[in-house]
Amino acid sequence: MLAQRLIGRTAVRSAFKPSGLPAIAPASRWTRTYATEAEQKDLVIIGGGVAGYVAAIKAGQEGMKVTCIEKRGTLGGTCLNVGCIPSKSLLNNSHLYHQVLHDTKHRGIEVEGVKLNLAQLMKAKDSSVSGLTKGVEFLFKKNGVEYIKGEASFKDEHTVNVKLNDGGETSVSGKNILIATGSEVTPFPGLMIDEKRIISSTGAIALEKVPEKLLVIGGGIIGLEMASVWSRLGSKVTVVEFLDQIGGPGMDLEIAKATQKILKKQGITFKTGTKVLSGALNGDLVTLDVDSAKGGKAESLDADVVLVAIGRRPYTGGLGIENIGLELDERGRVIIDSEYRTKIPHIRCVGDATFGPMLAHKAEEEAVAVVEYIKKGYGHVNYGCIPSVMYTFPEVAWVGQSEQDLKKAGIPYKIGTFPFAANSRAKTNLDTDGMVKMIADPETDRILGVHIIGPNAGEMIAEGTLALEYGASSEDIARTCHAHPTLAEAFKEAAMATSGKAIHF
Amino acid sequence: MFASKALRQAAQHAERTPSIKFLGKRTIPAHIDHTPQPHPASPTHSLPASFTSDKGSHASFSTYRDHAQQFGPLRKTIRATEGAVGDAAGSQLGPVHPPKGVFFDRSELPARFHRTPISLAEIEAVETGGAAAFA
Repeated sequence: MLAQRLIGRTAVRSAFKPSGLPAIAPASRWTRTYATEAEQKDLVIIGGGVAGYVAAIKAGQEGMKVTCIEKRGTLGGTCLNVGCIPSKSLLNNSHLYHQVLHDTKHRGIEVEGVKLNLAQLMKAKDSSVSGLTKGVEFLFKKNGVEYIKGEASFKDEHTVNVKLNDGGETSVSGKNILIATGSEVTPFPGLMIDEKRIISSTGAIALEKVPEKLLVIGGGIIGLEMASVWSRLGSKVTVVEFLDQIGGPGMDLEIAKATQKILKKQGITFKTGTKVLSGALNGDLVTLDVDSAKGGKAESLDADVVLVAIGRRPYTGGLGIENIGLELDERGRVIIDSEYRTKIPHIRCVGDATFGPMLAHKAEEEAVAVVEYIKKGYGHVNYGCIPSVMYTFPEVAWVGQSEQDLKKAGIPYKIGTFPFAANSRAKTNLDTDGMVKMIADPETDRILGVHIIGPNAGEMIAEGTLALEYGASSEDIARTCHAHPTLAEAFKEAAMATSGKAIHF
Repeated sequence: MFASKALRQAAQHAERTPSIKFLGKRTIPAHIDHTPQPHPASPTHSLPASFTSDKGSHASFSTYRDHAQQFGPLRKTIRATEGAVGDAAGSQLGPVHPPKGVFFDRSELPARFHRTPISLAEIEAVETGGAAAFA
């Protein structure tokens, strides 16, 4: 039925297209036909976050007529507005503050009168964010993307209604529709997030004063990054994690242990294997009742501020997916196939709203691939090769499989490690915490995973990702010349340790 | 001397073959199977029945999908029997000229090629030398 209607429409359009025909029909008839056609876009994107805006720009570059609908008022989604970008600004500047305060004397620099100006720290963050979001808006104009500020909901399979931010309503019709609505913070049952005393990551990047005591529920990447920021600025931070390891399930166990040790040295207290039973406001404080995950060690913890960082969940609220009968799985993710198609094939979904890790760079990859699937019929994302980075100090980064993953799957492997303490550049920088760990197939020597904790790990993991994507062996990396003295030499030496022996360790 | 050095180097490199190989310029795959497959990151590694069940008048999901995809390369599944416009090349439709001894009448052509119909008011205006238009 739908297809018949579409073919009918195509036929009508084709019949009117030849411009060489004599203009016999009344002019009004021609005008009306073309006006109707112009309204239907090649691609309508719901969501202007990383997935949505990248898809919009890519579609514009591919010559498609594209509309992107975003309700936030600024482009870039969670990542640019309240996620990756503002948190990196705070992480970088709080690290500088902490370093000037505690790590200059033995380097021969004596600094006095160091003061924190939190308002200015936040202002610097805000200006980075606004610069980047405006940059995306410029790229929209450059690539001919129509940008509608408003809340979208499905009217039918081809039409999206938009409640405009400035008042009024409009509707957009698209031959293809892309859902890129992203994710939201998973709330903790029984704790009402007010973004002042019980906060999510959004509140954690906008606190007006440094809390004396901060409790973080969840020792994953977001929790540990925010714990680092406020710990450096002077808070006494305690991280409560249900699992026995920090860093989330993807982090290699050995690296997670090393990370915990280093962060503990920096002043963060950890309560792993601990569950939060309940929480309540108690005068000026927030009290959490916690217990060991196995039970029997109940205690109460007080803090000025509690950060809920137990993860994120897909966001499809208000989208009207029930109007078109789209299916979600038990965790609220839009069900898609390998070409990002929902069960209605011209409606696709990418990014946090669907399967896979909730990472901006994964969403970006998918956004490019989905436009290529629509335009060219093929695309590419390698889900086995998506790096993860935690921007604490030192940074933690990994790609591929962890040792515990391989052990669990019964896959044989060999390991090579190299500590930054034996790397010349790390020594000169006086930043020698951490190591590079490489895991390879014992028979073919093909790289299976790379795990780094150390200075600049986030940049260094790009080399590991490239090696993994190309199916390199550890010997390939070991035989590739790396400049001296650089931190990247530690990467080469870890490869040497995997395929044979490291020189400097 | 240089030749022996080159040979020695070649012999050294022959011991090791890098895993990374240059595969040449990326090419568009000739055939792509667009049948729905589970997403690689799907936890269940399966698709609900709604993804593979028949849709409306189409024999399979993939034929439905080919019709639903409006942008990009048109699939071969849209056949002339289904009445799609533009499914066959113009040359395959035969010559546009009539065979010898046969003539097309304007009335056999689509309506847009017909002479513009003359209204009664226009006929009257012509017959009265334009006076009727001002009556």
